[in-house]
Amino acid sequence: MADGGNNITLTIDGREITVPKGTTVLEAAKKMGIEIPTFCWHPKLKPVGACRICYVEIEKMPKLQVSCATECMPGMVVHTDTEKVKQGRKAILEFILINHPLDCPTCDKGGECDLQDNTFAHGIDDSRFDFNKYRFIKDRKSTFDDVRLGPEIIRNQNRCILCYKCVRANKEIFGEYDLGVFQRGNLTEIDAAPGQQVDSLYSGNLPEICPVGALTNTDWRYKVRVWKAQQVKSICGYCADGCNLTLWKRRDKIFRSSSRRNDEIDEGWICDIGRYGYQIANAENRLTTPLIKKGNKQVTSTWDEAIGLIARKFKEIKDKKGGVCIGGMISPTLDLASLYAFSKYFRTVLHSNNVDFRNDYKMLAEKYGDTFGKMASLEFKIADIEKSDLILVIGSNLIKEHPIVNLRVRKTVTKFGASLYTLNPFATKSGDISTDEIIFNAGTLEALINGICVSLISQKLNASDVDVSNFGSMANPNTVSSASKITGISEERINALAMALGKAKNITLIVGEYIKASPLRELLSIALNNLTIIAGINKKGQIGFLYKSANSKGAEKLGVIPYPSPNLIGKMKEIWKYYPDSNGLAADRMIRAAKKEEMDAMFVIGANPIWAYPDGQFAKDGIEKLDFLVVADLFESETTEKADVVLPLSSWAEYAGDFINLEGRLQHFSAAIKPQNGSLPAFDIIGRITVEMDKPIFESVEQLNNEIKLLLAVLPEKAAQSLKLGEVKYSEEKISPDFSIPLFVTDDLHHYGHHTKEAKSLAAFGSEPYAEISPAMAEKLQLENTEMLRIESEVGKIILPVRISEILDNNVVVISRNFATTPVNILQMRKKRIDRVKLSKVED
Amino acid sequence: MEKKILFKYIDDPNQVDIDTYISHGGYKALEKVLKSMQPAQVIDEVKKSGLRGRGGAGFPAGMKWSFIPKDSPKPRYLVCNADESEPGTCKDRVLMERDPHGIVEGMAIAAFAIGSHQAYIYIRGEFVYPARMMEQAIASAYGKGMLGKNIFGSGYDLDMAVHTGGGAYICGEETALLNSLEGERGMSRIRPPFPAIEGLYACPTVVNNVETLASVPLIINNGAEWYASMGTEKSKGSKIFSLSGHVKRPGNYELEMGTPLSYLINDLGGGMLDGYQLKAIIPGGSSTPFLLPNQIDTPLDYESIAAAGSMLGSGAVIVIGDKTCMVWVIDRLIHFYKHESCGKCTPCREGTGWLLQLISRIEHGEGKPGDLEKIDSICDNIFGRTICPLGDAAVMPIQSALKLFRDEFQYHIDHKKCLVKSEFEFK
Ligand SMILES: Cc1cc2nc3c(=O)[nH]c(=O)nc-3n(C[C@H](O)[C@H](O)[C@H](O)COP(=O)(O)O)c2cc1C
Ligand code: SF4
Ligand code: SF4
Ligand code: SF4
Ligand code: FES
Repeated sequence: MADGGNNITLTIDGREITVPKGTTVLEAAKKMGIEIPTFCWHPKLKPVGACRICYVEIEKMPKLQVSCATECMPGMVVHTDTEKVKQGRKAILEFILINHPLDCPTCDKGGECDLQDNTFAHGIDDSRFDFNKYRFIKDRKSTFDDVRLGPEIIRNQNRCILCYKCVRANKEIFGEYDLGVFQRGNLTEIDAAPGQQVDSLYSGNLPEICPVGALTNTDWRYKVRVWKAQQVKSICGYCADGCNLTLWKRRDKIFRSSSRRNDEIDEGWICDIGRYGYQIANAENRLTTPLIKKGNKQVTSTWDEAIGLIARKFKEIKDKKGGVCIGGMISPTLDLASLYAFSKYFRTVLHSNNVDFRNDYKMLAEKYGDTFGKMASLEFKIADIEKSDLILVIGSNLIKEHPIVNLRVRKTVTKFGASLYTLNPFATKSGDISTDEIIFNAGTLEALINGICVSLISQKLNASDVDVSNFGSMANPNTVSSASKITGISEERINALAMALGKAKNITLIVGEYIKASPLRELLSIALNNLTIIAGINKKGQIGFLYKSANSKGAEKLGVIPYPSPNLIGKMKEIWKYYPDSNGLAADRMIRAAKKEEMDAMFVIGANPIWAYPDGQFAKDGIEKLDFLVVADLFESETTEKADVVLPLSSWAEYAGDFINLEGRLQHFSAAIKPQNGSLPAFDIIGRITVEMDKPIFESVEQLNNEIKLLLAVLPEKAAQSLKLGEVKYSEEKISPDFSIPLFVTDDLHHYGHHTKEAKSLAAFGSEPYAEISPAMAEKLQLENTEMLRIESEVGKIILPVRISEILDNNVVVISRNFATTPVNILQMRKKRIDRVKLSKVED
Repeated sequence: MEKKILFKYIDDPNQVDIDTYISHGGYKALEKVLKSMQPAQVIDEVKKSGLRGRGGAGFPAGMKWSFIPKDSPKPRYLVCNADESEPGTCKDRVLMERDPHGIVEGMAIAAFAIGSHQAYIYIRGEFVYPARMMEQAIASAYGKGMLGKNIFGSGYDLDMAVHTGGGAYICGEETALLNSLEGERGMSRIRPPFPAIEGLYACPTVVNNVETLASVPLIINNGAEWYASMGTEKSKGSKIFSLSGHVKRPGNYELEMGTPLSYLINDLGGGMLDGYQLKAIIPGGSSTPFLLPNQIDTPLDYESIAAAGSMLGSGAVIVIGDKTCMVWVIDRLIHFYKHESCGKCTPCREGTGWLLQLISRIEHGEGKPGDLEKIDSICDNIFGRTICPLGDAAVMPIQSALKLFRDEFQYHIDHKKCLVKSEFEFK
């Protein structure tokens, strides 16, 4: 944007500078290395000019001007250091300090407080003020002025300098309205909205951007002085967004995690899971020693004994029955070295292709080359979302799956005016900013997509270079009206969306878990491929079949699946001088094989299939049949319970490594602390087993990394997206009238996978299972919040307290899976595209 | 001299009725504008009339309208500011209660001129009756097809709605008003962007005072020349002054601009209450600096009052008699401004609080040596340094009082008693 006509030249402190139009005086000064103090300015928020500390003098303007909110104008002459400026800033500091408690010794912000720093720099005191300082005290019996605003957030109003960053970020960036400003004048307070808690997924950012100690969180409070903590560069180990984190540690303990702003990814925001999720590292009930099953009991043992047993058993099974009888599941939240070592171990030592990182998807593909795989390998950049004027989110509860992508989408919509269309079987948080929030009948997505495609064609808005003449015969439904009938979405809305797609200049398509986890994944992918071709999205924008976990993309790139691409296999052969010929089994096939007693042993690292696999009975039956099960994890789990050998695994904070985020961006993280409680990182465990088997697969982590580099250099198959239209025929699902209500199993807003319930702060947001239903459904069932709901499917039954949703408005039930006491997957069946249940009130 | 143009029918109880209003020539101006004028011509006419904003700042109305970008694809809004909260001011209330259609018609013409199809009138929360009158007027205008779709068959559509505030002085400040109208907390916004560029819902918006808009139909009906023939060179037409304080006949009086203050106070207001001598005059609402008795002949127009060291403001003339202690006056005023500070910017938020503490201790005989200098310096640190003019409004009367009546303050501090009310001793 910095072309000639849009540049502005001005003078600041006697030096000229040229900046793009729209730059503020503060930003221009910063560029020149001129320091101007600020309190209420924030690089990602609209300026408000509230604190007034950033005064400068501008020639021809009689009054002091706030540099953060003053745009540079041609020929402006700015002075940032005159007596008048200094006097003005001093006066502001004096005003701020008159009622400030100055309790720095007991304030958690001490050492990283903007007020402390600016006061230090300006040598101001509050001694002209000879009244008692005003105190905000809610509870006069308490000696502290602290008020809890949410599960983690505590407010001390006396320290608040009313920069409004917290409320501004909450609204502008997160779209949350749970925090507000109350009262007026010098009694103005920041507080939770009446009857509400500050408990959004982004709440932890509020203490982080508070420039003083007015907002703090339970996590960090009163634990360490900031100057005694060391900072470690890390990357979040939960979702695939890949936020950059700083872990703050002292001795061998982590005390907090904060954002290490990366504008390409997170822009300085992180979700609460990334902020508090590190707590699993120092959690109390970590596994502390290897366990070996003796009789019916797991008893403690040593690493040597455990590794010896594993090596012996795996060798025995491989020699007797072949490596195909051993399966491996590994969590995609592990580092590249561990994923790679796992694959190399299975393939070159056990001679088995049975490796998979996808342990909670139904009915995975059985060969390489599916449309889904191709779509998933397309380029996607989080920052490029901003280039789009239309964002289409299909089958994703975006805030839960990708909290940071969600923020970028929000920004693009609310700041740059893009339109957002969401297509989901139930309402999500994105509804508030959607141009149209399309909630279709569960199980009819391909019909809806066909409808959009035919609408594009009939409105002559399809990409001009695509031959659509046959589309009618390839699609069922193939009219907008029949699509409308099947999906429950009116023809006008389908046509309007098609029109918007046709007219948009740049489109971001985001495809989420609803499609990826579906047994009809391939059909849906073909439908989506058709849509991207017909709407020309492949040529005007980006397509993101977004990967889910911190290193899912890495696992895909390293081929930690039974059917890697031929190019990858070629490279593996070249590095290893070997590649097994046998057919590999995907995660669900391994379980089936086990159930049929065609698989003898399984090695599971960091995963918990009995809990995660969307058919609980099936997973349990299969895994219980194994002769020999090895599970490495941080905590006891539903799956470790069944294991013959349990190994304590280190969390990502305890070793150094690399993740590849959903964009394909490789990011390194350092070790914050040593492996805790006698645990080991996965690559180390694998290394020890191979040594014990006399087949060492690496001598050093460098060697692993070098080999990883070679594999990562393998390009995905050219022109990954299939540019041919494919057949998409919707067939109506038979719905039993008894079990008609769609069930969706998701992660709780503040949880991710099976570990986070052990993080104290995250447990404070929610540690009890619940079933979410719409208000109308609650009324029909005559249920009040927290009353008990019976949920029955054809195969299972559970009882949960009900939560009446503020968002859901159709007949579905949504259950979070994160809490140990809810084996929700026993309600699921792996062959069903939509799990369906019946609901009834539990009378007491 | 008294000039009843806005007030022509103010004493006719039926003027609130749309038929009576029409029989007095009402909605003729709107019809004329819609049927025979282009928006630009309307703006020109208002510019030529010299009409200036009656909300306080006196900004030329036609010029404000012309700032609305012609090429913006966004919707535009017209907002009538009926928050009337400046202490001493009560003119808009009378117009709303007794001639609401004049305001509706003025709003409709202004909306047409700026290409707006949605107009709001923001009325302070305490104005329950005026709000009801406005609602009735709007409803009957809809009933007669003077609002809504295709008004006078011209193809022009306009919707109009009443919005009542929660009762905060700051919500009269135009940007805080817009926030409040949007459902946000009433807090001022930084400018630029000005409302003409990014106002309500970030769309081009004109905010005008009730009296400003009520003057518009008169200008259209009688012509810009007619309006401009009244008043002075820079202050045209007539203006309503709200007279209060120690006078015999307080009330709202409509005067030709440039009429001497003494005419208002002595001839119309009947002079000082018996037993009172004139001590000071606040000429334009509680935030304007005081005038002294020797300035009583100052003409009531923007430039003359400014030359006398004060401001015409909203036209609320508060007359203060000699038995009044200026420390007490200032204590009352700073109490108000401290209470009404929206809390957004540091100098006003913290400064008004501190000023109140200092002034009230002086008022109560607990002042300390150095307090006046401290007040001077705090005022300097607020004046011209805030987001909105409330900060200035809070300190202007204080600065003025400390300049003109410093001895009264000093006396409170030195003697722990009042110079004026000598019978009163502090404990
Ligand atoms: C603190 C404060 C309070 C104000 N209150 C009012 C008010 O009650 N009514 C009003 O018309 N203008 C008020 N104003 C002025 C408005 O901001 C704005 O200038 C005016 O409505 C513009 O209309 P006009 O151009 O017709 O005068 C106030 C300004 C400030 C700073
Ligand atoms: S709580 Fe912190 S961030 Fe919020 S307004 Fe106060 S000082 Fe600013
Ligand atoms: S879970 Fe995802 S969004 Fe949250 S901090 Fe981690 S990487 Fe970022
Ligand atoms: S000057 Fe006062 S009222 Fe105006 S924005 Fe600042 S704090 Fe609010
Ligand atoms: S940083 Fe500029 S006003 Fe606060």
